[in-house]
Amino acid sequence: MAIKEINGKQYEVDGDGFLQNPADWNEEVAQLFAEDDGTGELTEKHWAIVNCIRNHWKETDMAPPVRKICQETNVRLREIYTLFPMGPARGACKIAGLPKPDGCV
Amino acid sequence: MGKKLTEKQKTGLGKLDNMLDARLETALNSCVHCGLCGTSCQYFLALGDARFIPAHKVDLVASIYRRYHTTVGKIAPKLTGARDFNDETIDEMVDTLFGACTMCGRCIAHCSIGVDIPHVVLACRKMLSEMDMVPKSLMSTVNAALETGNNMAIPTEEFVDTLSWLEEDLQMDLDDDNAKIPVNEPGKKILYTLNPREPKFFPLSISAMAKVFHKAGESWTLSTEMYDVTNYAYYSGNDEHAAIITQRLVDVAVKLGVDTVVLAECGHGSRSHRWEGPNWIKEEYPFRIITTVELLAEYIRDGKIKVDPEKNTMPLTLHDPCNLVRTGGIVDEQRYVLSKTTTNFREMNPYGRESFCCGGGGGNLAMSEYNERRLAIGKLKADQIKATETEVVVTPCHNCVDQLMGLNQEFKIGVEIRTLGEIVADAIVD
Repeated sequence: MAIKEINGKQYEVDGDGFLQNPADWNEEVAQLFAEDDGTGELTEKHWAIVNCIRNHWKETDMAPPVRKICQETNVRLREIYTLFPMGPARGACKIAGLPKPDGCV
Repeated sequence: MGKKLTEKQKTGLGKLDNMLDARLETALNSCVHCGLCGTSCQYFLALGDARFIPAHKVDLVASIYRRYHTTVGKIAPKLTGARDFNDETIDEMVDTLFGACTMCGRCIAHCSIGVDIPHVVLACRKMLSEMDMVPKSLMSTVNAALETGNNMAIPTEEFVDTLSWLEEDLQMDLDDDNAKIPVNEPGKKILYTLNPREPKFFPLSISAMAKVFHKAGESWTLSTEMYDVTNYAYYSGNDEHAAIITQRLVDVAVKLGVDTVVLAECGHGSRSHRWEGPNWIKEEYPFRIITTVELLAEYIRDGKIKVDPEKNTMPLTLHDPCNLVRTGGIVDEQRYVLSKTTTNFREMNPYGRESFCCGGGGGNLAMSEYNERRLAIGKLKADQIKATETEVVVTPCHNCVDQLMGLNQEFKIGVEIRTLGEIVADAIVD
């Protein structure tokens, strides 16, 4: 458990910087996290991916596979890695306020 | 005398009793405290904390051995630097042996008398595992694998859908309907494995290997029952869990009747499934087992695939996964592959058996608890990469890929991280 401070605001995060309390998430938080990890200004495409991840997570309690993200948002696979330099897990899922997935991510 | 031991502490010491054999006792009795290992360890080099010197880590475990297994240690512990196995000692063990050791094995190479330091670290992790003291996030990755068959808990349907999606794309890319990603097909020559992060988040490496297999005319299959190349129970120090995971791979390979199991690009997965596995299940494998790195070298050497180095002209360097080079001795194969598939390869300094860990080994990538340290020790690797002035870092390990992506961001290196399979796939000419 750690406290992450961005722009004077404090958030409870795990050791990897993933939000601890889902209720803390809102669009402003997402934007702050995105600037903090080098993703930068969130565009319409970023938001489509973030929302897809959040919807899937609310339904299944799991992050969607990147295939689902591509299919539902019509963003091409390679572009996802450009949009989120930290990748779909440490990048997009973190910005979407999900807990850190297990495994090599 | 120290306080009375709790049941939990007795459990840990009982595990030590059971593990003590000539190999472990030799390692625990041999350190001469010369200090050479200090500057071989990334944690000590990056953070300067004397607790992180490998000799200190060994002594932490040896002090318990002396306390409960030597006459002087039992009667007058202070005389021999023996420590009580109390909460303070145990907390220090968790912090330094899980949270400050990637088990990269660089210290063994520099030890003046060759103490197998990671073997001691692993022995202590086994004691801690017996006491349920494995860091939560590492345990959660092991549990996901035990409960669901893969460490990211990917449901089978989701996995199969992703593979058919990739197959469709592959057929379009190659303009060839015969390009397949076979699943659960018996009687094939090769059973291929994956790191679950590939189907979940990074499937380009699956497409790359499917292209390589197709162009090589290989007979291969994946299995939905067991495809996970990782075995994090090796790092959590639980041999029973490790054996369950190994046995699953063996059972599926036997059931499908393959000749060869090919391990996806994964350092600890190669170590676990190839070199540790038979010890866990106490049986030889009835099939050949090799790493993807060796397979790619074989394909190129035997002319099974035609590659053109001019397809990859960008300046590029190689990160060696510790478990492949130091445990497995797989050093030349990846360099041979790159010599045939790229034109501007530059070594890091040092490299090969002397290579530094990416910082994410030993289960540390999965352990959120030590995230800050993991990135801090990665600075050595980041500096090495920067010095090569390259655009791409190739590494045959998905765990290293993720850590290097983190370092790329943290230290603003400005490189792309790719697997060896991806480089080879791009170099293929018909």
